[in-house]
Amino acid sequence: MVKISVLQHNPALHVPIRPGDPTPVQRNLNPSMHPFAKARERTRALNAAKLDKIFSKPFVDSLEGHIDAVEVLTKPLESLTTVASGSWDGGLILHNLHTRSEMLKLPQAHKGKISGLCFADPKGSRLLSCGVDRNVRLWKVGTGDGEDDSGASSQEPLHVYPWKTSFNSIDHHRSDPLFATASSTVQIWDETKSAPVSNLTFPTSNETVSSVRFNLAEPSVLASVGSDRTFTLYDIRTGKAERRVVMQFRSNALAWSPTLPTMALLASEDHNLYTFDVRHMAAPVQIYKGHVAAVMSCEWAPTGVEFVSGGWDRTVRIWSSREAGGKEKGPGGREVVYHTKRMQRVTSTIYSSDARYVLSGSDDGNVRIWKAKASDKLGVITARERASMEYRESLVKRWSVDKDVGRVMRTRHLPKSVYKAGQLKHTMLEARRVKDERRRKHTRAGEQKPVAEKKKTVITEQS
Amino acid sequence: MDALIARADAIRPLSELRAVKTRDSGKGKAKANSKGKSKDTSTSNSDYTLQSISSHVNVPKSLAPLDPSSSKSKNDEVPKYNHIANKKLRSQLVHQHALNSNLSKNALETQQNLLSLAADDAGSIQVTGPLEKTWRISQDEIVASVGGEAAKGRRELTFGPGQGAKRMKWSQNGRHLVFISGKGGTKVSSVDWMGGNVNCEVDLLAGSNLAGAGGNGGGGEAARDVTFLQDQSFFAVAQKRNVFVYDRDGVEVHRLNNIIDPLRLDFLPWHWLLVAVTNSGHLSYTDTTTGTQIAVHRTKLGACNTLTQNRHNAVVHLGHQNGCVTLWTPNLPKPAVQILSHMGPVTSISVNPSDGGSAGSVNMPGRYMATAGRDGKVKIWDCRNWKGVVREWTVRGAGDVELEWSQKGYLGVLSGGSVNVYHPPHIVTPYTGSSSSAAPPLYLSHPIPHKPLQCLRFEPFSDVLAIGHNKGLSSILVPGVGEPQFDSLEADPFENAKARREREVKGLLDKIQPDLITLDPSMVGKFDSAALSASGSSLVATAAQSLLDKSDKVKWGANVQVKNVGVDVPFSRMKRVERLAVQGKLDTTGAGDDSEDSDVEMKEGGDGDSDDEGGLTREEMSKKRKMRGKNKSLKRYLRKQRKNVVDPQVLAVRAKVDRMREEAKAKKLQMKAGGAVEENKRKSALDRFKAGSGK
Repeated sequence: MVKISVLQHNPALHVPIRPGDPTPVQRNLNPSMHPFAKARERTRALNAAKLDKIFSKPFVDSLEGHIDAVEVLTKPLESLTTVASGSWDGGLILHNLHTRSEMLKLPQAHKGKISGLCFADPKGSRLLSCGVDRNVRLWKVGTGDGEDDSGASSQEPLHVYPWKTSFNSIDHHRSDPLFATASSTVQIWDETKSAPVSNLTFPTSNETVSSVRFNLAEPSVLASVGSDRTFTLYDIRTGKAERRVVMQFRSNALAWSPTLPTMALLASEDHNLYTFDVRHMAAPVQIYKGHVAAVMSCEWAPTGVEFVSGGWDRTVRIWSSREAGGKEKGPGGREVVYHTKRMQRVTSTIYSSDARYVLSGSDDGNVRIWKAKASDKLGVITARERASMEYRESLVKRWSVDKDVGRVMRTRHLPKSVYKAGQLKHTMLEARRVKDERRRKHTRAGEQKPVAEKKKTVITEQS
Repeated sequence: MDALIARADAIRPLSELRAVKTRDSGKGKAKANSKGKSKDTSTSNSDYTLQSISSHVNVPKSLAPLDPSSSKSKNDEVPKYNHIANKKLRSQLVHQHALNSNLSKNALETQQNLLSLAADDAGSIQVTGPLEKTWRISQDEIVASVGGEAAKGRRELTFGPGQGAKRMKWSQNGRHLVFISGKGGTKVSSVDWMGGNVNCEVDLLAGSNLAGAGGNGGGGEAARDVTFLQDQSFFAVAQKRNVFVYDRDGVEVHRLNNIIDPLRLDFLPWHWLLVAVTNSGHLSYTDTTTGTQIAVHRTKLGACNTLTQNRHNAVVHLGHQNGCVTLWTPNLPKPAVQILSHMGPVTSISVNPSDGGSAGSVNMPGRYMATAGRDGKVKIWDCRNWKGVVREWTVRGAGDVELEWSQKGYLGVLSGGSVNVYHPPHIVTPYTGSSSSAAPPLYLSHPIPHKPLQCLRFEPFSDVLAIGHNKGLSSILVPGVGEPQFDSLEADPFENAKARREREVKGLLDKIQPDLITLDPSMVGKFDSAALSASGSSLVATAAQSLLDKSDKVKWGANVQVKNVGVDVPFSRMKRVERLAVQGKLDTTGAGDDSEDSDVEMKEGGDGDSDDEGGLTREEMSKKRKMRGKNKSLKRYLRKQRKNVVDPQVLAVRAKVDRMREEAKAKKLQMKAGGAVEENKRKSALDRFKAGSGK
């Protein structure tokens, strides 16, 4: 007997059981059921890349209040909202990022430029400032929590530490009541004493130290950069300078990595950023090229993967430390450039503690808030939206080697001045390189192997 | 300072730290003992927190550890990537490979589960012995045995003599059917086949339609062909003057003015292209999202009555009056493939939409094409290889032969007064019997008394075959021809209005650019192999290699190592691959085999003086002869230029090559003279101090 059966679908299985239920979904993963799966995915990736560009609106807000250029920005370790900024006119403002209001405004905190700012405790209730008026001042500031406002901010400093020279930078010890200042010397101060407790300056040094920073993991180690093109390491336990390297150009700023304790980032006058492993100071770990003028400031993200830099070329750039950049590196390799028409030379940049925002202080007297990821969406994000965003992200990552997707990701708009400066710089470097090649080809200089770019950076290492 | 450095040194993978610890602990003990001990500690050292929660939580697949047991058993399958020096990259590749294999395994499992679920639904005919033939079973028997709801698939619609369905098309999901009927083909109907409702009827003769609204649709014209667009909400009709687009209610919404006198229509659903071929032999592609005509190709082969698409690469197959079948993409002004398939006009083409097997089949879907011609032949072609027919047979009966593949790879052939359906595996297996034109074994046959039979279409996701004949439209049950498991995200017969709208928007967002239509759809997402091989060849032809003569290369192989040669391109300007090649670090294991290129025939000249021609291959010789006397002065000039530049490195290389040549010559002479010569030569006392005489 022949058994015959005919395919029949049960319609009841394909409609929701109760009204409001989701419609049942039936899947078949056989590739022949999904023609052009790859091509369609590529289209989605292309759309995702374009959407990413469309949603790239990094500028969030501008915090006004200073009447001169903003020189320095700082944030406490354990606060998401508090940021302090100091300006050239000696004004000091404590901003609340959440409400975007001024929690404290000191129009004359110092006479002349405020050159350094740092919080004296992780909560951010005391603030240290130094200036060219040869004073260090300790301020009591409210944390803005409301209930814990016992010691509201006062217009008068808690303490004043006078000295003979003007200061360039200040940084507080992570746990102890110590702070370091940079002037022509590097000094360690005790908060309870009115004179420096020790002087760590490198013995033969005769330079102006421009920036000093304590290491984040090993707080007794600190580093400084100075006008003699040096990068110096100190230890407050031995009480002296340990070693230093002299580089081709001077560095303007310095930042220790929050996750890799030996990694330091230097913002150099030669338009580049360098990361150094302090165990091997003979050459930088990586060179980050991209700025078209001197880099004035740098700061790591709390994740330790990205960092932000601000430069004399009026741009803020966000870099991934894992990717060195360059044309052939693909979309992940090139840094993100933020700029606006009204932003002037960027003198200071910091990351917010949640790594979602970047703040920049510039010559035009504004503190600007940017998103750390340009296409990030602010506000509440539903689970479906989040899932679709993550899907788009992974699509773009997967298809970034595709010609069109990669092109969309790489394309960015730069201000004409920056673009032209980049072109000019490229021409000059190219000419220099060609000349060097020719010299090598026709003289005895060609007998040796060319020196790698990283090796050229450091002139000498001293200890 | 030292503390900082010590702390930094302590940062390393946990496994390494653990290894250090165990090494320290096992120092004092015997070797074998410590080995065993270390294993114990590593197993007992597992995370207690993880153990406590692991039974309740799911680790995401991407974070799940690679299954050690599977990786051990398939150790040979996971490539080691030993040739890659970069540890990070190597481990990433191994990880990726393992993840991929895991993923494919999981996907296969899931698919098997789904299929086993669907297997209950799938239709089939099971015979108990060899004497029972499936083709003997009539439709009445099938209807009687399946009964109930399934029997409703068998329908007979009678419109009257000469008013039967001429052309029809199912929607993607197989729920709706649009067909041309009426006297001279003047009526177009769109019906919800599953629901048993009529969506609309457009009467082209009357100049108005039954839905009551809309224009006249080019009044009084006969329809030649009809097709649904993305879903049942629109359908396009090829009428005498132009192509017209009607919506679900039969309202004319568009008239495509630039397609004149169209004969056949089809719609490429992933590219949103409406393909039409006209009486004048023009093939036009219209983007239905923007309404623009993106390409018009002149076939130069006259009126074309046969058009079909390969659903897996969106290539359009045209059958012509002279028996040619041509394959078209919008990007090529000439056919991508042209074959002479029949001795007479081609009447029907169909491309196999299935991969011709169960899950895990290696066949690529859309591999086989079936053609039927007015010469009464049905031919099966392999689309990867057009060397000849896979199988052909002759059908009986007058009239045009129509054919179509079903989703599961069954072939329905309409000829004379009946429709025959053939099994999948036998259709595409080359027949090796004595008569080369034997038809494959028949699966099912159904006679229809209303000649001529005009068209047949298998309903997707169902075991129904619709046949248009002179008097109307009949549908028969063919068990097993439909795909039992549909994918709701691709085509769902039961979708509601919201899902349909959603799919439409998603489909628009995923619209594939027409530039990507090629014969090989897997081209997307691959590296350009041509560019890759070109860069590979440029590696070999470095300046250093070009310094050597061709004959030298023949003698000592192309791999003569020449170091520190003054290359024109400075090192810093070279690409990374070139740098690696110059340094001798190039990894050639993964590259395509260029052995054919580098393989140079070894030909030794009979005598010593034919030094330049002895080593040349035949092609090179012929090329040389061809080039003789052409542009000689320029060559001479260039050679002089090369010679006159004094570069110590080039000189060194030349000297080395000369030396090697001399040595080879000497050796050859020696070989010719034989060993006796050497013995005859008297040795002087000072010979022992000669270089290379150390015995």
